[in-house]
Amino acid sequence: MTVTDNVIELKDISVDFPTQDKAVKAVKQVNLTIKKGDIYGIIGYSGAGKSTLVRVINLLQQPTTGQVIFNGQQLQKLAPVELRQARKKIGMIFQHFNLMKSRTVLGNVEYPLLGGKISKSDRRAKALNLLELVGLKNLANSYPNNLSGGQKQRVAIARALANDPEVLISDEATSALDPKTTKSILKLLQQVNQRLGITIVLITHEMQVISRICHNVAVMDNGEIIERGAVAEVFTKPKQQLTADFVETAINVKDALERIGNQEKYSNGNLLVYLNFIGQTSKKSIISKISREYNLDVNILFANVDQVDGKDIGYMIAEFVGEPKTANEAIAEMKKDGIIAKMINSNKE
Amino acid sequence: MNNIIPNVLQMKGQFVQATWETLYMTFASAIVAAFLGLLLGVALIITQPGGILEDGVLYSILDKITNLLRSIPFIILLAVISPLTQFLVGTTVGTTASLVPLVVGIFPFYARQVQNALLDVDRGVIEAAQSMGSSPLEIIFRVYLKEGLPDIIRVSTLTIISLIGLTTMAGAIGSGGLGDVAISIGYARFENDVTIFSMIIILILVFVIQFVGDYVAKKFEH
Repeated sequence: MTVTDNVIELKDISVDFPTQDKAVKAVKQVNLTIKKGDIYGIIGYSGAGKSTLVRVINLLQQPTTGQVIFNGQQLQKLAPVELRQARKKIGMIFQHFNLMKSRTVLGNVEYPLLGGKISKSDRRAKALNLLELVGLKNLANSYPNNLSGGQKQRVAIARALANDPEVLISDEATSALDPKTTKSILKLLQQVNQRLGITIVLITHEMQVISRICHNVAVMDNGEIIERGAVAEVFTKPKQQLTADFVETAINVKDALERIGNQEKYSNGNLLVYLNFIGQTSKKSIISKISREYNLDVNILFANVDQVDGKDIGYMIAEFVGEPKTANEAIAEMKKDGIIAKMINSNKE
Repeated sequence: MNNIIPNVLQMKGQFVQATWETLYMTFASAIVAAFLGLLLGVALIITQPGGILEDGVLYSILDKITNLLRSIPFIILLAVISPLTQFLVGTTVGTTASLVPLVVGIFPFYARQVQNALLDVDRGVIEAAQSMGSSPLEIIFRVYLKEGLPDIIRVSTLTIISLIGLTTMAGAIGSGGLGDVAISIGYARFENDVTIFSMIIILILVFVIQFVGDYVAKKFEH
């Protein structure tokens, strides 16, 4: 076994589902490397193949072709018993929690430890510790049916941690939760990553989830990874239209553009400018400077500042009232300062 | 009283004995059938398409055997199976002899019921157990049978009630029991009160079993 920083390597993974007349290719020739300690996000619309892809990581889904390597070990070469041992090191949480309703909260967290070498009292103590970590120690003797969605997911996280995994796979774990609960679950995942050093692979269809906790992201469409990289990079300079769609939806620019575009006075002739500030540039007082130096009046129609992987990113849609020529000069000036700026309705100048 | 149920009063002892015979036939065959039925039901659920030990060939064989056995009318099964009964029990008539056809008649039905009950166990929970490195045997005992327990209790109740129905037919091979009393005494001698009284006892048995079954199933539901 070679020592490597890569905890998961997927090489040339394809998954075909045979149907009556032809095979559906759910995943096509995907290569993916995930480093130890990372929080790696995979985003895509439903049907993009992301759920199938993460199930390949612990071989819940056998790939049609390709290699699955976990900690330098090719999982497909393992005997069933060894594979089960490897799976214990890959925890998984699900959209619908998948808790056992016949067991108490404590019983659910103890489940992965049943049949192991651990004594009954140690098992109980460990499960209680994990419940404390997720903040649910007081509900140890409740049954899952009496818990809220967020609480169920916390139990599922505790359960997934019981075998001291190295990797935690999150399959749309926040998709069935409300925004506030989503936030708290993401925070918990972040703590799990930082305190326990567990690598997290997270799939979602929401860019907010990615921007909040992930360091790296892959965008999936139609069984392929179409774009990947550091989250801040992908967020600010999306190369693919789909990625841009996800980003714009996440920061509400899309809604704003539609709303503004529908208003007549902005659709005929006024100068609408879309501005994107990254990192330090979001802290400079650019707008007032432009307004002063180019003698432009600036109406801010939409503005949003977000934190992406720890970096500030600002978005703004503004109306420049003044000469188109000076407005263009102002835009050029801002670009020099590292701001992404473009005229939205420039075709109507 | 003497006017309403004249014949019943004369054969109190016979009724007590017949009730015991019915209970004996029902529960003795239920225990054996429960074992066989659970085995077959679990085998069906794990080998079926998408099961944890999916095996198309084995599944289709088990599936066909189950259907075949369920298709034989019980009154004919009683006769057809007599060589097996002779081999296992040493006789083909009597209460104990009737256990063989009762078991064969009911366990495929029970297996189907178990399969359906286990089908309701959330597929996601099974997947979660697999992701935690559980072996197939662990999944069967710690997930399927535990998660499915309330439903298994419910279908067991249903099966026991069906079984009581079958015991009444076993009278045809001299099994005794309440069905035998109702037909060979009540019906054959035109003693209607005997027939009706047999039926009432059976109804009471059914109600009690249903009540207990529901109660126990609820106990295990959370």
